[in-house]
Amino acid sequence: MAGSKDKPMADDSLLSDEFLRQLMAVEEADLLVGIPTLNNSKTIAHVVQAVELGFAKFFPRERTVVVAADGGSHDDTEEVVRNANLGDPHRMRAPQSLRTMHRIATRYPGPVNSRNVLRTILAAADLVRAKACAVISPDLLSITPDWIESLLRPIYMEKYDLVTPLYLRRKFDGLLISNLVYPMVRAAYGLRLREPMAAEFAFSGKLASHLLEQGIAADQQSPHSVGIWVTSRAICGGFGVGQCFLGPKVQAPGNSSSDIVATISGVVGDLFRSLEREEEFWIRETGSRPLPAFGLPYDVNLEPLRVNRKQMIQMFRTGVVELKDILKTILREGTFAGLEGAADPRAESIPFPDELWVKTIYDFAGAFHRSVIHRDHILQALVPLYRGRVAAFTQELAGADETQVDAAIENLCLAYEQLKPYWIESWKIHQ
Amino acid sequence: MIGERARAIDRGLIEKAMIEGNAASTSIPAEPLWYKDAIVYQLHVRTFFDSNADGIGDFQGLTQKLGYLQDLGVTTLWLLPFYPSPLRDDGYDIADYTDIHPSYGTLGDFKAFLNEAHRRGLRIVTEIVLNHTSDQHAWFQEARQSRDNPRRDWYVWRDTDDGYRQVRIIFTDTEQSNWAWDPVSKQYYWHRFFSHQPDLNFDKPEVVEAIWEVMKFWLEIGVDGFRLDAVPYLVEREGTSSENLPETHAVLKLFRRRMDEHFPGRIFLAEANQWPLDVRPYFGDADECHMAFHFPLMPRMFMAIRLEDRKPIVEILNQTPEIPDACQWAIFLRNHDELTLEMVTDEERDYMYDAYAKDATMRLNVGIRRRLAPLLEGDTRKIRLMNGMLMSLPGTPIIYYGDEIGMGDNVHLGDRNGVRTPMQWTGGWTAGFSLADPERLYAPVVSNVLYNPQIINVDSQSRSPHSVLSWMKRLIRTRKTSRVFSRGTIEFVHPANHGVLAYVRRLDQEIILVVNNLSSRAQAVELDLRAFRGSIPVEMAGGNIFPRIGELPYLLTLGPYDFYWFRLRRL
Amino acid sequence: MIELVMQRLTQTLKSLVSAAATYLPRVLAMLIIVIIGWAIAFAVKAALRRILKIFKFDAFSEHGGVSQTLRKTGLAGPSELLCRVAFWVVGISITVLGIDVLGIPAFQDIISRFFRFVPQIFVALLILFVGILVANFLATAALLAAVNADLPSPRFLSGAVRLLIVIITIIMALEQLDLARITILIAFTIGFGAVMLGLAIAFGLGGQDAARRFLEKYIVEREKEKEKEDISPL
Repeated sequence: MAGSKDKPMADDSLLSDEFLRQLMAVEEADLLVGIPTLNNSKTIAHVVQAVELGFAKFFPRERTVVVAADGGSHDDTEEVVRNANLGDPHRMRAPQSLRTMHRIATRYPGPVNSRNVLRTILAAADLVRAKACAVISPDLLSITPDWIESLLRPIYMEKYDLVTPLYLRRKFDGLLISNLVYPMVRAAYGLRLREPMAAEFAFSGKLASHLLEQGIAADQQSPHSVGIWVTSRAICGGFGVGQCFLGPKVQAPGNSSSDIVATISGVVGDLFRSLEREEEFWIRETGSRPLPAFGLPYDVNLEPLRVNRKQMIQMFRTGVVELKDILKTILREGTFAGLEGAADPRAESIPFPDELWVKTIYDFAGAFHRSVIHRDHILQALVPLYRGRVAAFTQELAGADETQVDAAIENLCLAYEQLKPYWIESWKIHQ
Repeated sequence: MIGERARAIDRGLIEKAMIEGNAASTSIPAEPLWYKDAIVYQLHVRTFFDSNADGIGDFQGLTQKLGYLQDLGVTTLWLLPFYPSPLRDDGYDIADYTDIHPSYGTLGDFKAFLNEAHRRGLRIVTEIVLNHTSDQHAWFQEARQSRDNPRRDWYVWRDTDDGYRQVRIIFTDTEQSNWAWDPVSKQYYWHRFFSHQPDLNFDKPEVVEAIWEVMKFWLEIGVDGFRLDAVPYLVEREGTSSENLPETHAVLKLFRRRMDEHFPGRIFLAEANQWPLDVRPYFGDADECHMAFHFPLMPRMFMAIRLEDRKPIVEILNQTPEIPDACQWAIFLRNHDELTLEMVTDEERDYMYDAYAKDATMRLNVGIRRRLAPLLEGDTRKIRLMNGMLMSLPGTPIIYYGDEIGMGDNVHLGDRNGVRTPMQWTGGWTAGFSLADPERLYAPVVSNVLYNPQIINVDSQSRSPHSVLSWMKRLIRTRKTSRVFSRGTIEFVHPANHGVLAYVRRLDQEIILVVNNLSSRAQAVELDLRAFRGSIPVEMAGGNIFPRIGELPYLLTLGPYDFYWFRLRRL
Repeated sequence: MIELVMQRLTQTLKSLVSAAATYLPRVLAMLIIVIIGWAIAFAVKAALRRILKIFKFDAFSEHGGVSQTLRKTGLAGPSELLCRVAFWVVGISITVLGIDVLGIPAFQDIISRFFRFVPQIFVALLILFVGILVANFLATAALLAAVNADLPSPRFLSGAVRLLIVIITIIMALEQLDLARITILIAFTIGFGAVMLGLAIAFGLGGQDAARRFLEKYIVEREKEKEKEDISPL
């Protein structure tokens, strides 16, 4: 009776009985879409409608369920989910599913964080034995029924286990991803996985059970990085990974956090920690392979993001000067000298070439791994350097079109791959 | 595209399996406790499949049918004796320990069979009869030549037939004494079974060495273990029952030590038809036999389902002693012998005869010579329930060939031959067993209206997802999803409703609840599951979830002979 | 006369001999104790060095910034330092114990005071060690926060934090030693007050305008910059 003693009834990590009853009513599902919600009453109806229209249009015979896992909204989000209506007159000719479509809105157990949301969605997927599942953001303005097909079909029909998205991004959108997360994950695992920490992704029931069994790593700090955990667990578990084109991703404004320091140290910290956990899987990988991509890529003109380079340059320069002592303990000598050169206040712009940036990141990863100083301090010390890199990157590509930006990112990725031995050296040094 | 990829994956898997199979052509990846997780299929080469149209099953035929066994999901085959023999006791009268009976093929055929089985991940356990040989064995022929022959005392001789008076007679229907007169050398010799099976004298070190040489011969070929026939009787001592003697255990321990040393990972399965407390010493301190049959459980399962009461099963399992961790009980519903009623009380025996063998021809010695399906009146609900219990009670389950399709028997064939008829593959004259004329078969195919090959055969059952065979495959697959069944502990739940047998199997964090309705009527039962409050029962066959367990008695309803396996999950 | 002198001399000699007879064993005992004591001290040092190595004490203090501080003072590494301290403390303690055996009353008082003092030294050293760790940690945190928040003079801020904590630590350590606490407290209060007052006056009176202009410009500009700075990292 050991199990019962150490886990009393009032275990608040358990799924609610009401949720279980609803899952019992679903019984078994082929497709499951999970939506983490928190005060999204304005946008959620559209998302739910798009998902269900996608089900009806592309999977009319399949058993489907939408699970909105709510973190305790104060704005009737759950109510809106339950009442989101597909029967509008102008949609009367819309496709119909053969089966009852299930829709569940539930308050997920435990504290509000992305880990508990994911765990709830994984548990639901496991309990209803869903064959293909997807996670979708609740505040998407650009979602269409096609997204459901793009995400789920490779899993459901082609037996892939994880499908990550390919967004059509505005120029200079997602610079942390393109300059750090993507190339580093790619260099680590040897897979050209463009969005390793996307908020939208799809996975097989097999992967869901595997992830649930593994237990979601508890040391994650950024809400964005459950994606990193899912991706790296899937790759390391030998699951089949693919990508799909989704088009532009437009989210309702207001929810995303604007604190760059917290975001960077959260995301980069989670990335480094995850790499640390999976060390045995990536340390021997070299080069990289492309992943199969599903769906049709297309192009629309999106206005590029504006970037305030002046302040970033100034903060970078201050950072390098003021943090000299700290940076010297983190970076190798040559790398730091390069940074000092880049931060020279006399220059008009900052010369921050790919190689210097990659070495900087690798030194930071190594320093983080070896904990040369407090890990939070290491991550915070990266922020001014990131600003400098962004300033340099955007300046260099100020007049470039999408293809040129893509080419620049590809070059950066190659630099990451070529310098991987440098990374491993930094990683392995013991003082 | 879809199919293409799936096929590519399949091809990849097959190739991988073949590579691994080849790499390990003589043995399967080492898992020291494999026998605990095994699902054993018991068969006789003669009865399974005839490849050369002589009416007798053979190794080449069996090799052809390995795919069927792999698909069924069993992991280990237990072969009844296949040695050269006058076949007066179905091969248990061995005339040469180190060869194959010519009817079944050659030693080469056997090796090819063994390699193919291993390639398919199936392990092979063979029979060794330690206690006695056939009177045709060269050793006995030599021993009987004269009283001063060097092999004379490899057997047990007396001038009179009044030695070992306390020893019981096992084949009460055919034998009056355990002594038989040898007209050649004019002395009596000792035999525990038929008079044509003289007992070997294990007090003689040469005999022990000779038997070890036999074991080594087969272990070197690659068999994964031996079922040791009739082990309690190896040594005899005046003034005792000559069963389970310490001297007998010493011999077994010696064999075990040598086998562990030279052939790790091979096993002994002891046949000791005794009460569990008397069988317990055969496990030793995990230094004697790896497995032993649990004889008394089997009749009580039949009794319980007939009485519609769980009492006999709970009682016998509560009387079953703990065994070392590395040891395992072997449990079964039916086997090649009669359903033995030696390990029951007189009251119980009378009930069993009344319930299952009203017709006296069905009785043999102290038992009932019938197969599973006829015993259960062909009721597939009962067949499923009995197999469900077999697969969920503690121990390694053994399936007797043909029971997976619900084959019938022929009690009029004499001795136990009625349960050893040809395997029914198709609906043809010879049940697809052989291309020979039906009258040439070693034994006639079952012709009973309910069980003849037209009604019961592998071919038709494979085509229906609802047949007993298809259902057995699913049951075995479900059992294999968890090691709880093979390695976990058991605790009984005691609901007020005596027709419901419920128990909890547990291994580390994994918990499985089994609920069986032994009754022919639908039942509601309230289970006290407070110890597991907060858990969600997930029904293992279908995967559906049931309401979370709380403080209140857990209410379940079960149709006649229904049973459920629930995995208790905390989510 | 000579006889008297001789008598005196022999008497003195006798008493000297008898004194030597009483003291010589004690001296010998003392010597033995001292020799054994230093041997023990040596053993302690070696053992401690090994233990600290096993527990990676150097890496730990490197991580916490103690090593860097020590390096600046030109002392040995932290574990070497600790070993040496332990060596001398054990050695001296046992030497003192040996002297005690001589039974000279004047010494005995000092010795007992010395032994009351030893644990306090250790506690004080511990406080210093932890204090330096904390000071370095908070100083680094302040520096990073200031740089990332684009505050002026990050290093000055960080230095001020470090200084403040180090001073507090030193006071606490000295208090532990019970040394002239009042004097130190007064000295510190006066010093700290003077600095603060000076700063207040400087900013409040002399630099009022400058400070206002600085702050206004700084805040307004930052607000403006903020609006323009909309790189989204994700």
